[in-house]
This record gives sequence, structure tokens and C-alpha cells, in this order.
Amino acid sequence: MSKATDDLIQSLSAHVPKVAAGAVARRVALGLGLGAIGSVILMLIWFGPRHDIAQAVATPMFWMKLGYAAATGLIAAVLLTRLARPGARPGRLAALTLAPFALVALMAVARMVQAPPEAYRAMLMGHSAMACPWRILVIGLPVLAGAVWAMRGLAPTRLALAGLVAGVAAGGTGAAVYAVACNETSAPFLAIWYTAGIVAVTALGALAGSRLLRWR
Amino acid sequence: MLAGLAGEAEPYRRLLKELSGILRAYYARRAPPGIDAEDLVQETLIAVHTRRSTYDTGQPFTAWAYAIARYKLIDALRRGRLHLRAPAEEADDMFTPPAAAGGADAAMAARDLERVMAGLPQRTRDLIRATRIEGLSIRETAEKHRMTETAVKVAIHRGLKSLGGAYGGSDVEGD
Repeated sequence: MSKATDDLIQSLSAHVPKVAAGAVARRVALGLGLGAIGSVILMLIWFGPRHDIAQAVATPMFWMKLGYAAATGLIAAVLLTRLARPGARPGRLAALTLAPFALVALMAVARMVQAPPEAYRAMLMGHSAMACPWRILVIGLPVLAGAVWAMRGLAPTRLALAGLVAGVAAGGTGAAVYAVACNETSAPFLAIWYTAGIVAVTALGALAGSRLLRWR
Repeated sequence: MLAGLAGEAEPYRRLLKELSGILRAYYARRAPPGIDAEDLVQETLIAVHTRRSTYDTGQPFTAWAYAIARYKLIDALRRGRLHLRAPAEEADDMFTPPAAAGGADAAMAARDLERVMAGLPQRTRDLIRATRIEGLSIRETAEKHRMTETAVKVAIHRGLKSLGGAYGGSDVEGD
């Protein structure tokens, strides 16, 4: 039909390098991985690991914080790989992203029920409630940048959704990194303030997604 | 496409060629005024090529290519600052093979019809639905809507004509 289009097809098919299987997953992993390295460096400069880190690694709470954040980030990362393809739907995995939170929330409620009312304030607010979400937001930013870089080279077609999921992945990763520096020890604190931090990065990703993830 | 991913040029060229025909038909009907459909065809071919790593070999190729085509259309609308509503159909609309016709196809056709008619006045829509889908006669329809038979005929005629104008007179989603 069109001469120009025919020429284009000729030139496109003149050079067709082989594409390795798993290229999408590798790129997403690379973006998130480089971002996570950035987050760790940021955390080390800003706070450094908590001073009692040697003892903390023996406590379940340390691993619960790390586990909650990392699991959320990881599930979102898998979901992000899916959304990097045109026409993809999130499917059941989307609900699974909330599973770690549900677990932590249950645990938080269980602790609150057992505790005397005088202890509520300390359990809910810790000593860093107001700072925690903001720190997670900032520490999550390098990961968000990495996710955006990865996605721009792929082909997401639902940009706001992809941005939102990139935000969850970045927020989860950022919170996991921050968990190494944070010495809060209550499950309710984790359920509220870590989640608030992850939600902050998620909101940023969702808002910026339709602009930042646009590809030509 | 599998051959293309494996680096074989000739089958890949044939695929792009065939795809360009499908895309031309797709954009001919959808490209907004002021945007050249052939430009969109070319942009989509380039995107298909440069982003071919995002094709999941376990999925239908057409659904993947169509999703890119739709993205490019929305992108063009956005860039053109034309705040038109993007087509809301799902990836499998265009490529549902006739062999798969039946319940799903009929449902899809009904949905398409509703979407197409959304631009018409409520009364006209009701009249068209009554006569063309439910199979009522002009007189029955006129009685039901308390109109004269002539008024019903005129309204239906105008409604169909304006649909024809908006959709180039061809059948609406058929291939």
C-alpha cells in the first residue's frame, strides 16, 4: 500500500537480533536492583544500621519488619513484570500484594488485645511515628526511579496502574532497607507507620505513572 | 513472531507486512481527524519491533500487537490534545475469529451496538432497539411509545443515518 511503510518494514526486518527469553524480568530486576543499591547507600549515609543490630538480628521483630516490607515489595515486583507487557492484566497476584499487610495487621491486633490500655500509646506511636513514613518515602525514591527506568524501556499500556505497582515495589523495598536502621519493636507500629510509608511511595507512583511511564 | 524473536528475518518481514494490513484497517476506522492513519501504522510497527521482547510467547500475538496499537492510538489522542474518549474495547475484540462466534460474539456485538448508539438521543435508541433487535413492527413500536408511525420511521431513519455518518457507513465492528 504505502511505499514508506514498505520501506520501514524492509529496514526493520533487515536487522533482527535474537531476543533472549526472560528479557522483561531481567530488565525489571536490574532496575529495581540498582534502585535498591541506591536506597541502601542512602540509608547508610543518613542513619547507618541501628546500633544494636548485632542483638536485633536475633529477635523475631527485626525479621518481621524486614519480611513484611520485602515480601510486599517482591510480590509487587513480580506484578510489575507482568504489567510491563502490552495488554497485561494484574490478575490474582494483585490481591496477594495485600497478604503480607493482612498478616501484620492481624498480628498487631492480637498484640493490642493482650496489652493493657496504658501501653497503647507506646505501641502505636513508638518514638518515631511521625518521621517513619517520610523516611521510607525518601529511601524508596531510588527504587522508584529504577522501576520507572525499567518500565520505560518495556511496554506498559496501563500507565497509572503500572505506576502504582512500581510504587508498591519501591515502597516495599524502601521500607525493607529502612528496617535495618529502625529500632521500633511493636507490631502495631509496623502495621501503621511502615504501611503509611509504603502507601506514600505508592501514591507517588500512581500519580506520576501516567506521565513518567509514557513511551514512544 | 517466534521466528522474529529467534532472529529470522524473512518470516519476520512477512509478519510485519501482514500486521501492517491489519493495522491499516484498524486505524482507518479509528484515527481521529488531523492524525494520519498511516503514521500510526508506522509508529506501531516500530513499537512492535523495538519492544518485541515484551511479547510473551505463551500469549496470542494478535492480542499483544493490538494492545500496542490501542496504546499508540490513545497516545496520539493525548498528544493531539484531543480529549476524546479512548475506545474502551478489550484486546480480543478485533481478532475474535468468526469460528468462535456464538454467545461471546453475540454479547460483544450487543455491547458494541450499545456503545455505538450512545451518541443518539434516548428515544431514538429505544426505537432502534425495539424495531431492529426486539423485532417489533413499526406499528407496535409506535403504539408503545405513543408516537405516529411516520414519526417512528423518521426517527429511526435519522438515527441510523447519523450512525452511518459517524462510522463511515460500513458495518460497525465486522471483519
